[in-house]
Amino acid sequence: MTSSVNRVERFAFSERAPHWMAALSFVYAALTGLALWTPHLFWLSDVFGGGSTIRRWHPWGGVVFAVVLGLMFRNWAREMKLDADDRQWLRKAHKYAVHDEEGLPEPGRFNAGQKMLFWVQMIATLLLFASGAVLWFPELMPRTLRLAAILIHPSVAVVSMGGIIVHIYMGTAAVPGAFRGMIQGWVRPAWARSHHPKWYRDITKS
Amino acid sequence: MTNGWTDVANADVVLVMGGNPAENHPVGFRFAMEAKRTRKAKLVCIDPRFNRTAAVADHYVPIRSGSDIAFLGGLIHYALEGELYHADYVKQHTNAAFLIEDGFGFDEGYFSGWDAESKTYDKASWQYQKDSSGFARVDETLQNPRSVFQLLKTHYARYTPERVAEICGCSAEEFNRAAETICSTGRAGRSGTILYALGWTQHSHSVQLIHAAAMLQLLLGNIGMPGGGVNAQRGHSNIQGATDMGAWNMLPGYMKVPRAPWRSLDEYVHTNSPAPLRPDALNYWSNTSKFFVSLLKAYYGDNATRDNDYGYDFLPKIGEKDNYSWGFFFDRMNRGGLEGLISFGMNPVANGPNTVKMLSALAKLKWMIVVENFETETAAFWKASELAGEYYPGAPDAADIDTEVFLLPAACFAEKDGTFVNSSRWLQWKNQALPPPGDSKPDQEIIARLFLKLRELYEDEGGTSPEPLTSIAWDYGNAISPDLQEVAREINGQEVATGRQVPGFGALKDDGSTRCGNWLYSGSYTADGNQMARRGQEDPTGLGLYANWSWSWPANRRVLYNRASADADGKPWDESRAPIRWQGGRYTGDVPDFKADAAPDSLGSFIMLPEGVAKLFAPDFVEGPFPEHYEPAESPVDNAMHPAVGVNPSATIFTGELDTLGTRQDYPYVALTYRLTEHFHYWTKHVKTSSLLQSNFFVELPEALAAEKGIQNGDRVRVSSARGTAEGPAMVTKRIRPLQVAGRTIYQVGLPIHWGFLGRTKGPLVNNLTPSVLDPNSGTPEYKGFLVNMEKL
Amino acid sequence: MVTVAKLIDTTTCIGCKACEAACQEWQDQPFPVGTYDGTYQTFPDVRHDFWNLIKFNEIEHADGGLSWHMAKFQCMHCVDAGCITACPAPGAIFRRDNGTVDFDHDKCIGCGYCITACPFDVPRLNPITQKVYKCNLCSDRTAVGLEPACIKACPTNCLTFGARDDLVQIATDRARTLREDGKASAGVYNPAGVGGTNVIYVLEDAAHPEDYGLPNDPTVPWTVRVWQGPLKWLGNAALVGGILGTFFHYIRFGPRHADEESS
Repeated sequence: MTSSVNRVERFAFSERAPHWMAALSFVYAALTGLALWTPHLFWLSDVFGGGSTIRRWHPWGGVVFAVVLGLMFRNWAREMKLDADDRQWLRKAHKYAVHDEEGLPEPGRFNAGQKMLFWVQMIATLLLFASGAVLWFPELMPRTLRLAAILIHPSVAVVSMGGIIVHIYMGTAAVPGAFRGMIQGWVRPAWARSHHPKWYRDITKS
Repeated sequence: MTNGWTDVANADVVLVMGGNPAENHPVGFRFAMEAKRTRKAKLVCIDPRFNRTAAVADHYVPIRSGSDIAFLGGLIHYALEGELYHADYVKQHTNAAFLIEDGFGFDEGYFSGWDAESKTYDKASWQYQKDSSGFARVDETLQNPRSVFQLLKTHYARYTPERVAEICGCSAEEFNRAAETICSTGRAGRSGTILYALGWTQHSHSVQLIHAAAMLQLLLGNIGMPGGGVNAQRGHSNIQGATDMGAWNMLPGYMKVPRAPWRSLDEYVHTNSPAPLRPDALNYWSNTSKFFVSLLKAYYGDNATRDNDYGYDFLPKIGEKDNYSWGFFFDRMNRGGLEGLISFGMNPVANGPNTVKMLSALAKLKWMIVVENFETETAAFWKASELAGEYYPGAPDAADIDTEVFLLPAACFAEKDGTFVNSSRWLQWKNQALPPPGDSKPDQEIIARLFLKLRELYEDEGGTSPEPLTSIAWDYGNAISPDLQEVAREINGQEVATGRQVPGFGALKDDGSTRCGNWLYSGSYTADGNQMARRGQEDPTGLGLYANWSWSWPANRRVLYNRASADADGKPWDESRAPIRWQGGRYTGDVPDFKADAAPDSLGSFIMLPEGVAKLFAPDFVEGPFPEHYEPAESPVDNAMHPAVGVNPSATIFTGELDTLGTRQDYPYVALTYRLTEHFHYWTKHVKTSSLLQSNFFVELPEALAAEKGIQNGDRVRVSSARGTAEGPAMVTKRIRPLQVAGRTIYQVGLPIHWGFLGRTKGPLVNNLTPSVLDPNSGTPEYKGFLVNMEKL
Repeated sequence: MVTVAKLIDTTTCIGCKACEAACQEWQDQPFPVGTYDGTYQTFPDVRHDFWNLIKFNEIEHADGGLSWHMAKFQCMHCVDAGCITACPAPGAIFRRDNGTVDFDHDKCIGCGYCITACPFDVPRLNPITQKVYKCNLCSDRTAVGLEPACIKACPTNCLTFGARDDLVQIATDRARTLREDGKASAGVYNPAGVGGTNVIYVLEDAAHPEDYGLPNDPTVPWTVRVWQGPLKWLGNAALVGGILGTFFHYIRFGPRHADEESS
């Protein structure tokens, strides 16, 4: 059991599965959404089976994403509450970005950046879903709503995609070891201690 | 039409009344729009409904259905009173100066000579005073109190604007504004046209109504003028041709069907060749014998000889007082007096008034042949009770009907060649576009096969008087389906000996040397070929005469009575609108309605009439020489002119068990039926385009009536008359204005006609509501202005 | 190539629907039997299978007068076409050399953005094919020098087809004639908000185009302009910036490894 000593469970399967469902549907919706947005990126539609196909399935990608986000909300909403430490962390987040973590409050299972991402995606999903529904059935919707939706949907999508770009970077290249936490579900104790000391203390205490 | 569609573009004022050309004649109406666009012509629309024509009119006046004569009488009064009439024209071209017998008069609704017993007029007192040579006496000053002009003034003095407003339901101001515009054409240099249709012809006083219009146009000097005339917009593509080629009482070219008392050709010719009433009258009908004998030669060929009166005896004769027009023969049928019916391109169950009477009448036949493009309500009349019994509770059950029905499928208009005669009297040749589908056959083949079989039966089996059939000349190259070019050549007329085409009716003779199927059409297919197929677009006068486009009866004349477009010396009233000019001993421009080589002052200008001039006063009409306002047979008010005589005393009102009339207490609203632009009669409900463009029957009613009854737009309503009911959604509209008539508010209800119990779209037959009441001259039913009630369902 | 246009002189429209029938026939559209909707109008609005609709409007004036306006309604072929601006599928909505705004249905993906962007509310989605349809000015006819089917069918010369510049002149002249004839507010409807249209109207009451079923001052909605203009570039910049930003962050700061102190 030496190996188990060397591993700390980071995410349970019930957490990883929704995450990757979300990831897949997000990538699909994002890339098809970009194709539907601007003629310059319309070539992306070829990758996914052509314009009519993506017009048909992009909304369903969004529906899947929204449902899965619901699961993630149920999993993590309580842990994602921002506390005083988080607010202080956020004020000094620029130091985190340059690897100078002096004076940063110690993060728990999720640091304040991750929590922010969570809430941004939650709100974005709500907005995308609502505006997406309006765009999905243009002939059933009042024109004013549609005119609002054509602005809201891509704007929010850009914010959402921006967040995810940073998220992917952080989860892969920027923080080695994090990706395994979401793929295989475990991290090395040193990784946990180093990136989420408060969480590590909590789990080793028990 | 006295003029023609293209000529409407020459008008300064277009009066549309009793018609809705924008709705029902949209293609012809382009010329009214052209007049508006290019001449700034004023379009005046007088109609119970603010209709499609009213939508583009400069002035619209609502009137109560059936009050048209009051309005026209008001216009005549307005023109006379304000001296707006064309005095020189009236003096020159009408019988205004003629003196009438002293006994003539009008009192409380009756003209002199009324016989209450026989319900007819003795017209003796209506005649002209005659001199010793038998010519009518005249007073050129028009001052003689017995002159037509003075009698006219007296008769119409009662038609003041206030009285018109009281009867019609418009305001006197609205009337005056319309009158001002219309009567602005009563001088040289201004032309006004009148366009009318079934809104005038479908009344119990319709012929008098049109007479009133003609009188107005004569007073204003608008007859014979480009941009003038009294113009009947014919409702079917070839109804003009159908009329020209005959009716129950007319042979081709408006020659009378012999009556029993005219026992010989001589008697016929004598009776139908009037004597001239003025020394300068050309009196063209004195040529009747030439047209008639040529017709008999066309009918009977070698069997028509001088010795047998050219087959005069073969022609059927009708009794002196007999009437076989629509209403009468259906009435007779309903009494069991007819054995069989050939309904050829007709749908009487839908067209005829009082649907249940039609259904009941057909059930009393032994057999009926229906020749049609579709299975019509008439062909399927025996299913009415099964398919729509709720509307036709009196309709006989299929089980009780013994009528044997044969439905012969006929080719549609595009599936055969031949001609259409349009409202402009143009005979336009058309070519077959498609072969007829299935077993359907062109009309001439159906007729030919019927004829040949009947002749064969008569030849084989004999029978009572077989000669009328066995004597008919049937020399067509293809006897079973005659080539229509061949028929057209026969109609034009030929020299019997040589077979050469005659150039026109002037070449017809009464010695048996010519044959001619219709003298009016003579000239349509000459030695130069088929004139009807011409498509020349030259218009040298710039008046839209288009002399080389098709062929116009008579003699390719485009504007009838065009001699009246100039004064006594032949000087045009309007230099810019002269259809003919007398130059160097002949006329240029249109074909003159005159003797071609006669100087303008040598003859009376209306060459067809024994008077030699047009008749403001018509001594030969059934119900009076002057039109008088009479109420419809069912009216919501008393006749304001003479309460004791409400309805036209001569009107035909049937009184059988099914011929009920409603009272104004039970049926307070005035109803009228009409047609929609999307549809053609009862035919296009079978057609995909039309059934899309206007799918449903509806009931148009004023907002105020809807509010009174709690009816919302689209609610289902039931309209009922003394005859029956019709149900459909309500169209609540501002376009039918409630009218103030005799101090009361009168509501009018509009009912489009196009539906029935068969077709791609279905609905009620609105003639289920209409009364069995006819005009006494034309036999046309009173489809406008009958009484109904209405309830919300 | 010269820009073509259609002139609709509503003062001579009699609502005969010949244009509607011609459109259905030429475009090989279906002929459903409609339901009654309380007016003379064939349908409440244009449909994916019914592109040419005469609108009937009963207008009661303050002075008690009544107008019954009939005005043919269809794609306006705007000079500044909102539908083209909004369309994401390259070539699905395009402008022909003669100015006609046309659809290439092989390329249309049925997103419906054009429906939202059209200030005249013209394009309609076919729920079966999931493609959007509208009047194409009979581009198959105009390509071979014929007038559109509706023009061909019009009996009153209410409809004219020709070079746009000529028709603007004719319309202007006609409106002037009408004003001289006492129709004080007659004018031309060629709304500047969409850069003018290739369907031009003469209205007897140009001050109230809404009485004819036409929008008063149509423009391509600002949200459509922002969306397909600045927002698109901002959004693209943001995304590209995000990708580049993370990349350069990595080059500059590298990964943040876990501290390797022994436990």
